[in-house]
Amino acid sequence: MTGMVPLHLSHFQSLLLFAIIISLAFGTLGRRDPLERLKYAAWSFGMFVLVAIALGWLMYPFSR
Amino acid sequence: MFDDTSENKTANDSTDASGENAVPAPIHDVHPQAVYSDNSANAGAYDLRAIVIAIAGWILPGFGHALLKMWGRAVTIFLAVGFLVYLGAGMRGNLFPPGGDDAFARLGYAADLGTGSFYFIARDVEGSRADVSHADGDYGTRFLATAGVLNLLAALHAYEAARRRKA
Repeated sequence: MTGMVPLHLSHFQSLLLFAIIISLAFGTLGRRDPLERLKYAAWSFGMFVLVAIALGWLMYPFSR
Repeated sequence: MFDDTSENKTANDSTDASGENAVPAPIHDVHPQAVYSDNSANAGAYDLRAIVIAIAGWILPGFGHALLKMWGRAVTIFLAVGFLVYLGAGMRGNLFPPGGDDAFARLGYAADLGTGSFYFIARDVEGSRADVSHADGDYGTRFLATAGVLNLLAALHAYEAARRRKA
């Protein structure tokens, strides 16, 4: 069972996938009402992406 | 019958003044401590059941919630942990083996083992093809560790729910 095709994702694709999966899990575990779950997951997803991009730009001057 | 202790007042807030036609409060409205104090033998049973549910949730992601009939949470946890493990193994992330040389390796092993049975599936799928010389592999390592920690969080959530605390 070792015939798995290697995945090649860009940095941004990895970030988006990670943010989507974790946000859905957080929303489902953290809230009971379906609408509240959706809101919390959307807010969490937005924060993941925004903070990652902001940190990326903050580190940009030190990358060269 | 009219034992006027503070515990009984807490547990029977819904009774009327005479104590007749008493309607028991819904279990989720009653503080767990009040429930346990009524019958301490039940407290031990609740604890044991909660521990079994937490272990079941750790071994198979989502199974703890499934035992509690929280189907939405069970399916979400199973898919989230499974997809993270699939991505991590597919990106050739490092799956830490037992008996690491340093603290980071041992910590990584603990995080990876948090996925329960998925750890062994990932090890079987990935084989010895881990490659962290590229960003893909490094991200894959994080995906695998995150899957483990997320599953441990879900198992703890199932434990709390089984003990009838707010979850």
